[in-house]
Amino acid sequence: MKKFQSSLSTKRVRLSRREIIRKGGALTAFLMTGCDSQFYKPPVLRGGLMGIADTLTMATQRSLMSNDQLVQEHDPREVTQNFPVWNQSNPEDEDYQRLKANGFEDWVLPVTGLVNNPVSISLSDLKKMSRRTQTTMHICEQGWSAIATWTGTPLLSVIQAAGGIKPEAKYVMINAFGGWYEGYDMFDVSHPQTILAYGMNGKDLPAGNGAPVRLRVERHCGYKQLKFIKSIEVVSTVEHHGRGTGGINSDFGFHWYAGA
Amino acid sequence: MALSFFYLLYSGVMIFLHFPELYWGKVGFQGHPAIFKLEDWGISWELAERLGDRRWGRNYHYLFAWIFVINGLVYLLWNGVRKEFYLKIFPRFSELSFKNIKRVFIFQIKFSVKNDDSMPGYNVIQKICYVFVMFVLFPFMIISGLAQMPAFTAISPELIDLFGGRQTARTLHVVCSLLLVVFFIVHLVQVFASGAVKQVRAMVTGSYVGSKSEMEVQK
Repeated sequence: MKKFQSSLSTKRVRLSRREIIRKGGALTAFLMTGCDSQFYKPPVLRGGLMGIADTLTMATQRSLMSNDQLVQEHDPREVTQNFPVWNQSNPEDEDYQRLKANGFEDWVLPVTGLVNNPVSISLSDLKKMSRRTQTTMHICEQGWSAIATWTGTPLLSVIQAAGGIKPEAKYVMINAFGGWYEGYDMFDVSHPQTILAYGMNGKDLPAGNGAPVRLRVERHCGYKQLKFIKSIEVVSTVEHHGRGTGGINSDFGFHWYAGA
Repeated sequence: MALSFFYLLYSGVMIFLHFPELYWGKVGFQGHPAIFKLEDWGISWELAERLGDRRWGRNYHYLFAWIFVINGLVYLLWNGVRKEFYLKIFPRFSELSFKNIKRVFIFQIKFSVKNDDSMPGYNVIQKICYVFVMFVLFPFMIISGLAQMPAFTAISPELIDLFGGRQTARTLHVVCSLLLVVFFIVHLVQVFASGAVKQVRAMVTGSYVGSKSEMEVQK
């Protein structure tokens, strides 16, 4: 437990990639040896055989996974020129439109909930934090795939900037404009390639791809890659959000765990 | 097994209809050069999307994939331990001559499904087909399915390199499923042609009860 806490609750913001990997590894070691079943199953189980299948899928994959493993990074020359825009491309929220009109200068990211030191991070501050650039493949559950270079701040660094998590924290809920939200567990949060991306292919994130900031959580299908991020809340239970299944996609009947 | 095959196929079709194009290589999306478009076959993207249901499809595809895999493992273990594959499914060396295969092939083409006197059990073409389906196509379906999962790209990037890209894996997954459909249809035709009731009874009870003359042939 100590290892787990220390990996997420240090106050340092700047972390080298190696450190993140090492810390991620420690977290994984804890999770693998620990008795915490949340590592192997979704926060809310569906009834009947479907719940069993969900758990089998997630448990099998998770038992083979560690945060030392990175998804394949491609050559920047392989970047897809006309990356598809799917789902909402311009949230109609008044708040969003106001921020957009001002070039997102007033956009701030509140990090609240079960963190030791809740903060609000401005876009320019976010860009000053540790940075990671990765050229990865976006895999949509519909069937398409495309490659882009993403630049952003590791989500782990953002959580650490808020003083790290409290002992009872289990999930990170990320809210987006347009009413979207998704929940992620600490294993995915602390993966080195899990970043809050503000750049795409060397430029600012385009509007259709989730400006100003979107999530990249590379071991999941597209529907977990939340766009138009509004706020972050660390929680111990997912039941107070939406229909209480841990994300808008699982509210609508998709798997909460999108690794398959 | 047949039930999960049917549901895997049905849910697979539902998923495919929601994105009715196939590509080759790493990337593919609407507008990217496709190697297969359902549109070319008279079904527009909009219509296909309406017919498909990827949410239902995905949920049931994984559920029945698990039923299929668990069932398959039990089957392999059970028959492996009892040497059933060795005795009944794997072709003998003596059967694998071109002449013999040609003879059986002509026999099959004529739709003569009476048991070939010289060969009790499955004939050599059946054996080759069963081995191919069980030990090549089924594993291929599973591996090409896994290669499409983003979590497996992290666990084993080699898996996707093996196929040369995610879209290639997806395309081959579909092609392989069509091969299985062809096998399944031929298999059903054979079962019906050789007496469905007797065959199904044999599948359930494990022993084939035929007429007296057929029994002698079996010996």
